[in-house]
Amino acid sequence: MIFPFPSPSPSLFLPLPLPPSFSDIWNNTWYPKAKDHINTEKTWYVVDATDKILGRLASTIAVHIHGKNLATYTPTIDMGAFVIVFYCMNKFSLLETCSYWYGSGFFLSNLTQYVNAEKVAASGKKRTQKLYRRHSGRPGGMKVETFNQLQQRIPERIIEHAIRGMLPKGRALFNHLKVYKGPDHPHNAQKSIELLIRDKRVQKQR
Amino acid sequence: MTRIKRGYIARRRRKKISLFASSFRGAHSRLTRTITQQIIRALVSAHRDRDRKKRDFRRLWITRINAVIRGVGVSYSYSRLIHNLYKKQLLLNRKILAQIAISNRNCLYMISNEIRK
Repeated sequence: MIFPFPSPSPSLFLPLPLPPSFSDIWNNTWYPKAKDHINTEKTWYVVDATDKILGRLASTIAVHIHGKNLATYTPTIDMGAFVIVFYCMNKFSLLETCSYWYGSGFFLSNLTQYVNAEKVAASGKKRTQKLYRRHSGRPGGMKVETFNQLQQRIPERIIEHAIRGMLPKGRALFNHLKVYKGPDHPHNAQKSIELLIRDKRVQKQR
Repeated sequence: MTRIKRGYIARRRRKKISLFASSFRGAHSRLTRTITQQIIRALVSAHRDRDRKKRDFRRLWITRINAVIRGVGVSYSYSRLIHNLYKKQLLLNRKILAQIAISNRNCLYMISNEIRK
Protein backbone atom coordinates (compact mmCIF):
# COMPACT_ATOMS: atom_id res chain seq x y z
CA MET A 1 0.00 0.00 0.00
CA ILE A 2 1.39 3.32 -1.02
CA PHE A 3 0.10 6.58 0.35
CA PRO A 4 1.79 9.22 -1.75
CA PHE A 5 -0.15 12.08 -0.20
CA PRO A 6 1.68 15.22 0.80
CA SER A 7 1.16 16.34 4.38
CA PRO A 8 -2.27 17.93 4.60
CA SER A 9 -2.16 21.63 3.92
CA PRO A 10 -4.44 23.89 5.95
CA SER A 11 -6.54 24.72 2.89
CA LEU A 12 -7.95 21.20 2.83
CA PHE A 13 -9.71 21.70 6.13
CA LEU A 14 -11.17 25.12 5.53
CA PRO A 15 -13.94 26.10 3.17
CA LEU A 16 -12.75 27.98 0.13
CA PRO A 17 -12.35 30.91 -0.45
CA LEU A 18 -10.09 31.45 2.56
CA PRO A 19 -10.72 34.44 4.78
CA PRO A 20 -8.24 37.22 4.05
CA SER A 21 -6.53 37.14 7.43
CA PHE A 22 -5.71 33.44 7.29
CA SER A 23 -2.07 32.47 7.32
CA ASP A 24 -0.17 29.36 8.26
CA ILE A 25 0.96 30.36 11.73
CA TRP A 26 2.52 27.01 12.49
CA ASN A 27 4.97 27.13 9.63
CA ASN A 28 5.67 30.84 9.30
CA THR A 29 7.32 32.59 12.22
CA TRP A 30 5.55 35.82 13.09
CA TYR A 31 7.27 38.93 11.82
CA PRO A 32 5.97 42.41 12.63
CA LYS A 33 4.27 44.46 9.96
CA ALA A 34 4.59 48.22 9.82
CA LYS A 35 1.44 48.72 11.86
CA ASP A 36 2.88 46.62 14.70
CA HIS A 37 5.61 49.09 15.57
CA ILE A 38 4.27 52.59 15.03
CA ASN A 39 6.12 55.02 17.25
CA THR A 40 3.03 56.96 18.24
CA GLU A 41 1.34 53.87 19.64
CA LYS A 42 4.12 52.54 21.79
CA THR A 43 3.87 52.34 25.55
CA TRP A 44 5.49 54.99 27.69
CA TYR A 45 6.78 54.05 31.11
CA VAL A 46 7.79 56.33 33.93
CA VAL A 47 10.26 55.44 36.67
CA ASP A 48 11.31 57.26 39.77
CA ALA A 49 15.01 56.63 40.22
CA THR A 50 15.50 58.12 43.65
CA ASP A 51 17.08 55.70 46.05
CA LYS A 52 17.24 52.83 43.59
CA ILE A 53 20.43 50.91 42.96
CA LEU A 54 21.90 52.07 39.67
CA GLY A 55 22.72 48.84 37.88
CA ARG A 56 19.58 46.93 38.80
CA LEU A 57 17.38 49.82 37.79
CA ALA A 58 19.26 50.30 34.52
CA SER A 59 18.97 46.62 33.69
CA THR A 60 15.18 46.50 33.84
CA ILE A 61 14.84 49.81 32.00
CA ALA A 62 17.11 48.55 29.23
CA VAL A 63 15.05 45.38 28.90
CA HIS A 64 11.89 47.42 28.39
CA ILE A 65 13.47 49.81 25.90
CA HIS A 66 14.91 46.94 23.88
CA GLY A 67 11.59 45.11 23.89
CA LYS A 68 12.93 41.88 25.33
CA ASN A 69 10.01 41.51 27.69
CA LEU A 70 7.58 41.19 24.76
CA ALA A 71 6.47 38.06 22.96
CA THR A 72 6.71 40.07 19.76
CA TYR A 73 10.41 40.80 20.23
CA THR A 74 12.29 41.07 16.93
CA PRO A 75 15.98 41.91 16.89
CA THR A 76 15.85 43.82 13.62
CA ILE A 77 12.91 46.03 14.50
CA ASP A 78 12.44 48.50 17.31
CA MET A 79 9.51 47.03 19.24
CA GLY A 80 10.39 48.41 22.65
CA ALA A 81 8.77 51.06 24.77
CA PHE A 82 9.77 54.57 25.77
CA VAL A 83 10.96 55.10 29.33
CA ILE A 84 11.05 58.34 31.28
CA VAL A 85 13.34 58.42 34.29
CA PHE A 86 13.15 61.19 36.80
CA TYR A 87 14.67 61.68 40.17
CA CYS A 88 14.85 64.39 42.70
CA MET A 89 18.13 66.01 43.57
CA ASN A 90 16.43 68.78 45.45
CA LYS A 91 17.16 68.36 49.13
CA PHE A 92 14.22 70.42 50.19
CA SER A 93 11.38 68.57 48.51
CA LEU A 94 11.21 66.02 51.31
CA LEU A 95 11.43 68.75 53.95
CA GLU A 96 8.55 70.63 52.43
CA THR A 97 6.26 67.64 52.35
CA CYS A 98 7.20 66.70 55.93
CA SER A 99 6.52 70.22 57.15
CA TYR A 100 3.17 70.07 55.50
CA TRP A 101 2.31 66.82 57.23
CA TYR A 102 3.78 67.47 60.67
CA GLY A 103 3.46 71.22 60.95
CA SER A 104 6.10 73.90 60.71
CA GLY A 105 7.89 72.83 63.91
CA PHE A 106 9.66 70.06 62.00
CA PHE A 107 13.43 70.56 62.22
CA LEU A 108 15.92 69.78 59.56
CA SER A 109 17.93 67.75 62.06
CA ASN A 110 15.18 65.16 62.22
CA LEU A 111 15.60 64.66 58.52
CA THR A 112 19.35 64.47 58.16
CA GLN A 113 19.28 60.75 57.63
CA TYR A 114 16.83 61.11 54.73
CA VAL A 115 18.16 64.16 52.95
CA ASN A 116 20.85 62.42 50.93
CA ALA A 117 18.49 59.63 49.93
CA GLU A 118 17.11 61.54 46.99
CA LYS A 119 19.59 60.37 44.40
CA VAL A 120 20.40 57.26 42.47
CA ALA A 121 22.03 54.86 44.89
CA ALA A 122 25.16 52.78 44.60
CA SER A 123 26.21 50.19 47.11
CA GLY A 124 29.59 49.92 48.75
CA LYS A 125 32.15 52.63 48.21
CA LYS A 126 31.16 53.30 44.63
CA ARG A 127 30.22 56.88 45.35
CA THR A 128 33.84 57.76 45.81
CA GLN A 129 35.53 54.95 43.91
CA LYS A 130 33.56 54.38 40.72
CA LEU A 131 35.23 56.29 37.92
CA TYR A 132 33.69 57.71 34.78
CA ARG A 133 36.22 58.16 32.03
CA ARG A 134 36.08 59.98 28.73
CA HIS A 135 38.75 60.85 26.19
CA SER A 136 38.89 63.95 24.05
CA GLY A 137 40.80 62.23 21.24
CA ARG A 138 44.03 64.13 21.77
CA PRO A 139 47.07 62.65 23.51
CA GLY A 140 46.84 63.04 27.25
CA GLY A 141 43.17 63.93 26.93
CA MET A 142 41.72 61.38 29.31
CA LYS A 143 39.32 62.94 31.79
CA VAL A 144 38.36 61.01 34.88
CA GLU A 145 35.57 61.73 37.34
CA THR A 146 34.17 59.93 40.32
CA PHE A 147 30.52 59.00 40.73
CA ASN A 148 30.06 61.80 43.27
CA GLN A 149 31.59 64.49 41.08
CA LEU A 150 29.53 63.48 38.06
CA GLN A 151 26.40 63.46 40.18
CA GLN A 152 27.11 67.03 41.24
CA ARG A 153 27.78 68.12 37.67
CA ILE A 154 25.36 66.25 35.37
CA PRO A 155 23.33 63.66 37.29
CA GLU A 156 21.38 62.52 34.22
CA ARG A 157 24.56 61.26 32.65
CA ILE A 158 25.03 58.57 35.28
CA ILE A 159 21.77 56.84 34.43
CA GLU A 160 22.21 57.40 30.70
CA HIS A 161 25.73 55.94 30.80
CA ALA A 162 24.54 52.87 32.66
CA ILE A 163 21.65 52.19 30.29
CA ARG A 164 23.59 52.97 27.12
CA GLY A 165 26.00 50.18 28.01
CA MET A 166 23.10 47.75 28.24
CA LEU A 167 21.44 48.59 24.94
CA PRO A 168 22.49 47.58 21.43
CA LYS A 169 24.79 50.02 19.66
CA GLY A 170 23.29 52.93 17.79
CA ARG A 171 21.28 55.95 18.80
CA ALA A 172 17.82 54.72 17.82
CA LEU A 173 17.00 52.80 20.99
CA PHE A 174 18.96 55.09 23.25
CA ASN A 175 16.80 58.01 22.15
CA HIS A 176 13.80 56.24 23.63
CA LEU A 177 15.20 56.91 27.09
CA LYS A 178 14.41 60.27 28.64
CA VAL A 179 16.09 61.20 31.91
CA TYR A 180 15.19 64.26 33.91
CA LYS A 181 16.51 65.74 37.08
CA GLY A 182 13.68 66.74 39.36
CA PRO A 183 10.14 65.40 39.59
CA ASP A 184 8.78 67.05 36.44
CA HIS A 185 9.05 65.97 32.86
CA PRO A 186 7.58 67.44 29.68
CA HIS A 187 5.90 64.19 28.59
CA ASN A 188 2.62 64.44 30.48
CA ALA A 189 0.66 64.01 27.26
CA GLN A 190 1.96 60.49 26.80
CA LYS A 191 0.07 59.17 29.85
CA SER A 192 2.90 56.97 30.96
CA ILE A 193 2.52 53.90 33.10
CA GLU A 194 4.56 53.38 36.23
CA LEU A 195 7.28 50.83 35.58
CA LEU A 196 7.45 48.27 38.38
CA ILE A 197 10.97 47.14 38.99
CA ARG A 198 10.84 43.52 40.05
CA ASP A 199 14.46 42.92 40.90
CA LYS A 200 14.70 41.42 44.35
CA ARG A 201 17.17 43.96 45.62
CA VAL A 202 16.49 47.26 43.93
CA GLN A 203 15.76 49.49 46.89
CA LYS A 204 18.86 50.62 48.67
CA GLN A 205 18.77 49.19 52.17
CA ARG A 206 19.56 51.61 54.95
CA MET B 1 46.65 28.35 -36.58
CA THR B 2 43.63 29.91 -38.20
CA ARG B 3 42.34 33.11 -36.78
CA ILE B 4 39.29 32.77 -34.52
CA LYS B 5 37.23 35.68 -33.30
CA ARG B 6 35.50 34.98 -30.02
CA GLY B 7 32.32 36.62 -31.24
CA TYR B 8 29.28 36.40 -29.02
CA ILE B 9 30.27 33.41 -26.90
CA ALA B 10 31.44 35.32 -23.83
CA ARG B 11 28.59 37.80 -24.12
CA ARG B 12 25.98 35.03 -24.15
CA ARG B 13 27.49 33.42 -21.05
CA ARG B 14 27.60 36.69 -19.14
CA LYS B 15 24.12 37.70 -20.16
CA LYS B 16 22.78 34.41 -18.88
CA ILE B 17 24.21 34.82 -15.42
CA SER B 18 23.54 38.54 -15.13
CA LEU B 19 19.83 37.82 -14.78
CA PHE B 20 20.54 36.69 -11.23
CA ALA B 21 22.04 40.09 -10.43
CA SER B 22 19.28 42.13 -12.03
CA SER B 23 18.00 43.40 -8.67
CA PHE B 24 21.37 44.43 -7.28
CA ARG B 25 22.16 48.02 -6.57
CA GLY B 26 24.15 50.35 -8.79
CA ALA B 27 27.18 49.03 -10.60
CA HIS B 28 26.56 45.57 -9.15
CA SER B 29 23.84 45.00 -11.72
CA ARG B 30 25.40 46.84 -14.64
CA LEU B 31 29.10 46.11 -15.00
CA THR B 32 30.03 42.59 -16.12
CA ARG B 33 33.12 42.04 -14.00
CA THR B 34 31.39 43.42 -10.90
CA ILE B 35 28.37 41.26 -11.67
CA THR B 36 30.46 38.10 -11.71
CA GLN B 37 32.06 38.98 -8.39
CA GLN B 38 28.82 39.98 -6.72
CA ILE B 39 27.04 36.87 -7.88
CA ILE B 40 29.75 34.73 -6.33
CA ARG B 41 29.43 36.63 -3.03
CA ALA B 42 25.66 36.38 -3.10
CA LEU B 43 25.69 32.64 -3.65
CA VAL B 44 28.31 32.13 -0.93
CA SER B 45 26.15 34.10 1.50
CA ALA B 46 23.09 32.11 0.52
CA HIS B 47 24.93 28.82 1.04
CA ARG B 48 26.29 29.82 4.44
CA ASP B 49 23.05 31.41 5.58
CA ARG B 50 20.90 28.39 4.78
CA ASP B 51 22.57 26.79 7.80
CA ARG B 52 22.54 30.03 9.77
CA LYS B 53 18.83 30.43 9.15
CA LYS B 54 18.09 27.34 11.20
CA ARG B 55 20.21 28.68 14.07
CA ASP B 56 18.87 32.22 13.86
CA PHE B 57 15.24 31.24 13.98
CA ARG B 58 15.80 28.94 16.93
CA ARG B 59 17.48 31.83 18.76
CA LEU B 60 14.53 34.07 17.98
CA TRP B 61 12.02 31.53 19.24
CA ILE B 62 13.96 31.02 22.43
CA THR B 63 14.19 34.76 23.09
CA ARG B 64 10.47 35.21 22.51
CA ILE B 65 9.51 32.29 24.77
CA ASN B 66 11.90 33.57 27.45
CA ALA B 67 10.33 37.03 27.29
CA VAL B 68 6.84 35.71 27.90
CA ILE B 69 7.80 33.12 30.50
CA ARG B 70 9.75 35.54 32.63
CA GLY B 71 6.62 37.59 32.93
CA VAL B 72 4.98 34.76 34.85
CA GLY B 73 6.93 35.06 38.06
CA VAL B 74 10.24 36.15 39.48
CA SER B 75 11.99 32.80 39.44
CA TYR B 76 10.50 31.22 36.31
CA SER B 77 12.51 31.22 33.13
CA TYR B 78 12.91 29.59 29.74
CA SER B 79 15.41 27.10 31.08
CA ARG B 80 13.05 25.87 33.75
CA LEU B 81 10.21 25.64 31.25
CA ILE B 82 12.28 23.46 28.94
CA HIS B 83 13.38 21.29 31.83
CA ASN B 84 9.78 20.77 32.84
CA LEU B 85 8.81 20.03 29.25
CA TYR B 86 11.41 17.33 28.99
CA LYS B 87 10.49 15.87 32.36
CA LYS B 88 6.86 15.53 31.28
CA GLN B 89 8.04 14.29 27.87
CA LEU B 90 6.05 16.91 26.03
CA LEU B 91 7.14 17.16 22.42
CA LEU B 92 6.25 20.79 21.74
CA ASN B 93 9.17 22.44 20.01
CA ARG B 94 10.34 26.00 20.39
CA LYS B 95 8.83 27.18 17.13
CA ILE B 96 5.35 26.15 18.18
CA LEU B 97 5.82 27.51 21.69
CA ALA B 98 6.90 30.87 20.31
CA GLN B 99 3.92 31.07 17.98
CA ILE B 100 1.61 30.14 20.85
CA ALA B 101 3.25 32.83 22.96
CA ILE B 102 2.38 35.47 20.38
CA SER B 103 -1.04 34.35 19.28
CA ASN B 104 -2.51 33.00 22.51
CA ARG B 105 -0.46 33.82 25.57
CA ASN B 106 -2.92 32.37 28.09
CA CYS B 107 -2.57 29.02 26.41
CA LEU B 108 1.16 29.13 27.05
CA TYR B 109 0.59 30.03 30.69
CA MET B 110 -1.79 27.08 31.00
CA ILE B 111 0.78 24.73 29.51
CA SER B 112 3.54 26.02 31.78
CA ASN B 113 1.33 25.69 34.87
CA GLU B 114 0.36 22.16 33.96
CA ILE B 115 3.92 20.97 33.51
CA ARG B 116 5.11 22.72 36.63
CA LYS B 117 3.05 20.43 38.80
